[in-house]
Amino acid sequence: MLGIGWHHVLSAISWHKVLSAILAIDWRKVPFLFLWISSHVLLAILTVVFYRRRLYRGLPIFFTYMLCELAGFIWVFTLCFILTGGNQLGYAWSATQLLSIVLLFGVIDEVSRDLFRESKLLRAVARRSLQCVTGLLLAVSVLLAVYQPGSISVKWFAGVVDINRGAAIVQSGMVVFLLLFSRLMGLSWRRPALGIILGLGVLASVDVASFALRAEFTSLTWTEFLNWLTSGDYLVCVLIWIGYVLAPETEPVFPPKPKSPTAIPDEEVETWNRELQQLLRQ
Amino acid sequence: MIAAWTLVAVGLSALTVLVYVAIRRRTNPGDLENAVQEFRSLDIDAFRNLVDSDEETFLREHLPPRKFREIKRQRAWAAFIYSWEAGRAAMALAKVGQAAQRSPNPGIAASGRQLSESAFRLRLQTIPACLYLMNAVLLPGRHARSLPTFADQYERTSETLFRIRGFSSAGQELVHSKGA
Repeated sequence: MLGIGWHHVLSAISWHKVLSAILAIDWRKVPFLFLWISSHVLLAILTVVFYRRRLYRGLPIFFTYMLCELAGFIWVFTLCFILTGGNQLGYAWSATQLLSIVLLFGVIDEVSRDLFRESKLLRAVARRSLQCVTGLLLAVSVLLAVYQPGSISVKWFAGVVDINRGAAIVQSGMVVFLLLFSRLMGLSWRRPALGIILGLGVLASVDVASFALRAEFTSLTWTEFLNWLTSGDYLVCVLIWIGYVLAPETEPVFPPKPKSPTAIPDEEVETWNRELQQLLRQ
Repeated sequence: MIAAWTLVAVGLSALTVLVYVAIRRRTNPGDLENAVQEFRSLDIDAFRNLVDSDEETFLREHLPPRKFREIKRQRAWAAFIYSWEAGRAAMALAKVGQAAQRSPNPGIAASGRQLSESAFRLRLQTIPACLYLMNAVLLPGRHARSLPTFADQYERTSETLFRIRGFSSAGQELVHSKGA
């Protein structure tokens, strides 16, 4: 049955047309298309894994982000083949970008809540500090948008690049802050949360550089190079997410039974207590 | 143009931090024995003496200004080292506490929660204390106020640690339960 079906299909194909279509492909775009498509295929696999392992219960915003990213990809990819000109493709891309920015801020918030879940004190301190860092980075982004608008002539696209650049600055700053703060406090991460934040950090920090360059260099060569760079970066980011999500969570490993007793002797405890009480009375 | 390249440098710096954190991440939750040893090695009396404002006033009144600044700098540096080490010990205790929090035994988990919260508080206190003491090292001539909160927090953490001294044996119990 299958053999008959394929026979009909193959005979229906005009090989001349196929050859013409292959020759018409802009081969410079192939690496970009490969990176763009493969990263989203991997993201789709990750979404399925997330769903099957019910990880979306703990990280619902990240799951929503993945679904939206996939829907956006399908939409823009379809438009690439339907549309031949005009700004519609640019508008569609911009819309998906803006939605991603909003959701990624939600993901950072979600991951930070997961990180500080066990300590009320740290939650309060980190939230306050994170607000300060965000405010500062936002101010820097706004100042950059006002005083360094770049050399893009198309106004709406320049605006989108400015927003992306600003968001990337704020997001990468927040991610670096979270990682450094957790390291400073000796906080332990859950594996999926760490993977998500690392991937997001890589994505945002490369975006800081690429959108800054995109605003300055508008030639075709630079645009192609930057498209290639951002697609490759996204692939790396998805691979980090997959690596951390698929790897099993490590159980807390206690050291083997120590040779010397760890328990604090009562005598010593009493001595300490006496000393501390004396200090408190002073 | 300069702004663009500055942002490229910022992006690359952020990337370096991320790679560093990813590589340096340790899965070991911490060694209870080492954490207790580190904590024990800190002499609270010596630290309190070093940051005592009455002591400082006494030295200021009885020493020539130049000698006083020299002594003050040395005292502040020693107190800084204490504070730094207390922070490190708190970090080690926090790791042990967090690992214990994941225990299926409710008693161990509660002890771990208490220990890590106390250690976090101490760690948070050591950060401004280190900055304050570094300022005293750089500007020894300035009048200083005492650091009661940090010392008090240290004491509270000590008390917590000793109160839950059964935690150690409970940790061992956890090892056996994991091995089983």
